[in-house]
Amino acid sequence: MHKKRWIVLSGFFALVVGGICLFLFDPAEAGFFPVCPFHRLTGLYCSGCGSTRAIHALLHGKFLDALDMNPLMVIALPFILYGLGRQCYWWFFGKKTTARRLRAFWIWIILIVVVTYTILRNIPLYPFTILAP
Amino acid sequence: MFCSKCGTINDDNAFRCVNCGEQLQGGGPGSSTQQAPGGVGNVPNYLVQAILITLCCCLPFGIVAIVYAAQVNGKLQAGDYQGALECSGKAKMWCWLGFGIGLLANLIIFGLQIIGAIATGAGSMRGY
Repeated sequence: MHKKRWIVLSGFFALVVGGICLFLFDPAEAGFFPVCPFHRLTGLYCSGCGSTRAIHALLHGKFLDALDMNPLMVIALPFILYGLGRQCYWWFFGKKTTARRLRAFWIWIILIVVVTYTILRNIPLYPFTILAP
Repeated sequence: MFCSKCGTINDDNAFRCVNCGEQLQGGGPGSSTQQAPGGVGNVPNYLVQAILITLCCCLPFGIVAIVYAAQVNGKLQAGDYQGALECSGKAKMWCWLGFGIGLLANLIIFGLQIIGAIATGAGSMRGY
């Protein structure tokens, strides 16, 4: 089998195992989930901090709890899954990756949103603390 | 052939780009369109990976990867195939660097936790 098919299959397997672990265990209590090296080193929140707790909440149908943990992740998740799915489909069936392209402008917008979000959620004042996990 | 505007690969005798509608063969041969080396239009920008790296393991490296992903698409739009290939390679490199460093940092932290747990003899494996 083609090498990339193995990547896709093992990635899918990891996703399912990760999903089951996140469903069964609460990352706020269990200690074995991967920690954020950025948060560990700097004490600051990164753009992804609170993601595992947010996904745990989502898997239990607690949409508002998930938004409370990491709103950007909750909004971005469908797009990430779509992008991953598209990529995996191409890799699995050997299709080209140039079918349709985002204009560069939109990638710069994504970058600005992520950076702004990261800065804002580290401001320890009221309206911004909503963004922190 | 490549669309000089958005980089989409089109049929060799296509008149307009299937993605953006840019005219491909207006001036006949030697116009603004560009033939890709080998005829394969595979310039991945690793945007999904870059975003995942940014959100999940290594913020600074992921940001650099997103910058290169944007440049891949920007250069393809401008018709700069070679430049796009270079940026694609860099985006890939920064994704792997971010992934590797994120993984390594996690392993180190996990190892320290286990040592700490053994040292104190108590369950100090919580608090995240």
